[in-house]
Amino acid sequence: MKAILIVHNIASDLVTSVWTPIFVGLFIAIVIYALWPRNQAVFDQASRMPLRED
Amino acid sequence: MQQTQSTKWMTHGEAGLMLFFSMAAFVCAFAAAKALDAPFAFHASLAAVASGVASFAIMNRYLDRPASLPPEEINGKPNYNLGPIKFASFMAMFWGIAGFAVGLLIASQLAWPLLNLDLPWTSFGRLRPLHTSAVIFAFGGNVLIATSFYVVQRTCRTRLVGDLAPWFVVLGYNFFIVIAGTGYLLGVTQSKEYAEPEWYADLWLTIVWVVYLVVFVMTLVKRKEPHIFVANWFYLAFIVTIAVLHLGNNPALPVSLLGSKSYIAWAGVQDAMFQWWYGHNAVGFFLTAGFLAIMYYFIPKRAERPVYSYRLSIIHFWSLIFLYIWAGPHHLHYTALPDWTQTLGMTFSIMLWMPSWGGMINGLMTLSGAWDKLRTDPVLRMLVVSVAFYGMSTFEGPLMSIKVVNSLSHYTDWTIGHVHSGALGWVGFVSFGALYCLVPWLWGRKELYSLKLVNWHFWISTIGIVLYISAMWVSGILQGLMWRAYTSLGFLEYSFIETVEAMHPFYVIRAAGGALFLIGALIMAYNLWMTVRVGEAEVQSTVALQPAE
Repeated sequence: MKAILIVHNIASDLVTSVWTPIFVGLFIAIVIYALWPRNQAVFDQASRMPLRED
Repeated sequence: MQQTQSTKWMTHGEAGLMLFFSMAAFVCAFAAAKALDAPFAFHASLAAVASGVASFAIMNRYLDRPASLPPEEINGKPNYNLGPIKFASFMAMFWGIAGFAVGLLIASQLAWPLLNLDLPWTSFGRLRPLHTSAVIFAFGGNVLIATSFYVVQRTCRTRLVGDLAPWFVVLGYNFFIVIAGTGYLLGVTQSKEYAEPEWYADLWLTIVWVVYLVVFVMTLVKRKEPHIFVANWFYLAFIVTIAVLHLGNNPALPVSLLGSKSYIAWAGVQDAMFQWWYGHNAVGFFLTAGFLAIMYYFIPKRAERPVYSYRLSIIHFWSLIFLYIWAGPHHLHYTALPDWTQTLGMTFSIMLWMPSWGGMINGLMTLSGAWDKLRTDPVLRMLVVSVAFYGMSTFEGPLMSIKVVNSLSHYTDWTIGHVHSGALGWVGFVSFGALYCLVPWLWGRKELYSLKLVNWHFWISTIGIVLYISAMWVSGILQGLMWRAYTSLGFLEYSFIETVEAMHPFYVIRAAGGALFLIGALIMAYNLWMTVRVGEAEVQSTVALQPAE
């Protein structure tokens, strides 16, 4: 029971405290990174990685 | 590194593992002698024998090997470590056939209960987890380990980290499978769906999985490519999340250290929630993320086209990661779980539709400019159809997570049909496609023994899947409607046994579908075997085409 309460407290603290905006912010940052025009060249190269033979 | 070759020393890993396994052999033999129940004694004996064999094998390997370990590079090219991958590929095919065969047996048991044979070991209740674990963890797990070790080496252009560690992962994982599977037959289970193995098997899997994580991450760390290819992100998400799920769902207290029985730390609805947080994320991170990694490497490679949209791959990867973890409560609609939690699970499940289809679109559109290959290359066709099944089952899943739909579909065969359109169509076909690519590459063969046989495999299995899932749709909806039918006086219209009777023809069709799927896999095993045995060796261009750098 104690273990459950501890886990429950940690979980609800995580969700209700700063973590929700942090995760949302993190996700928005990832989307911006993915769509940033300057990164296009890197992504174009990366998309061909399976095709490269050594 | 400049040491003379004359003195040969054991590595720390060799000496340490030999010591570990020697001690383990004694501890397990002692546990076998003192065991409180017969299955535990059997498993402890198996572990003692396996530890002893492992210890001898390490010694023999040490005596046979040259003084220095295999080089990182040969002629400036990475010296890839393929041995453990070959083993895992072989085991994948072996467990696949075993798992499909047991699936066919239990499907037949449902149609003809006589096939339970009135023996505890062959009853449906024990064989069903044997089937699910064999296909998901034994077949799927070996495919994932094999392909992840292959893809991470190729896309990082570096040799796998560790000398014994990769072997420890593949052999240790398959030993876990043996313990888990034999345990089910002997009645050892903690009764958590897809997490049935008891505490000692769980502990062993934890050790193996941590080593797997370390090997994978350290290989990423020493990569020669600056960019980490998206497939590796999916594999990493799979390995990390499975570790977290496994630990979260399995904290158990054994009744005795010398017995198989344990009690789980969680109780009541918390236990149910933990179970389906685990269960659905096993779907999300084992059966989805891991196999999406396969899609992102093998489809571009086979189609000889780049990934359609690398941006989309990043966005749908992170969307999957952020959303999947919340979807579990849809397994517990209309239960003691708080209503808001059910609604939360449903909402996130519906949102998951977008990243799932992001992946599907990316996989399918990678064929842009190479669609004609679908006509001529049955391996590519298999891979592409798997993605189509992925799209279909990830549309059906969110639909079924909606509470109103779920009130009809839950506990019926519709769920079984849904799972199998994902498992046979998506996971099965993408694995078959990957193995068809991998085996010629691993054994240095120019091509497969027979593309014609791949074509037969493709069509026989596809018909099998269609029979399976359409039978389960009809039977599931029929079952759901019969359960909720009332007479004008407010009584239930059908007794339970009447609904069971009504299922019979569909169970026969389902078993026929399963039989076709198994026949397809047997054709595949023959084809792969012949590829290795008599396939034309690939022209060794390694030396001739080496550029003068």
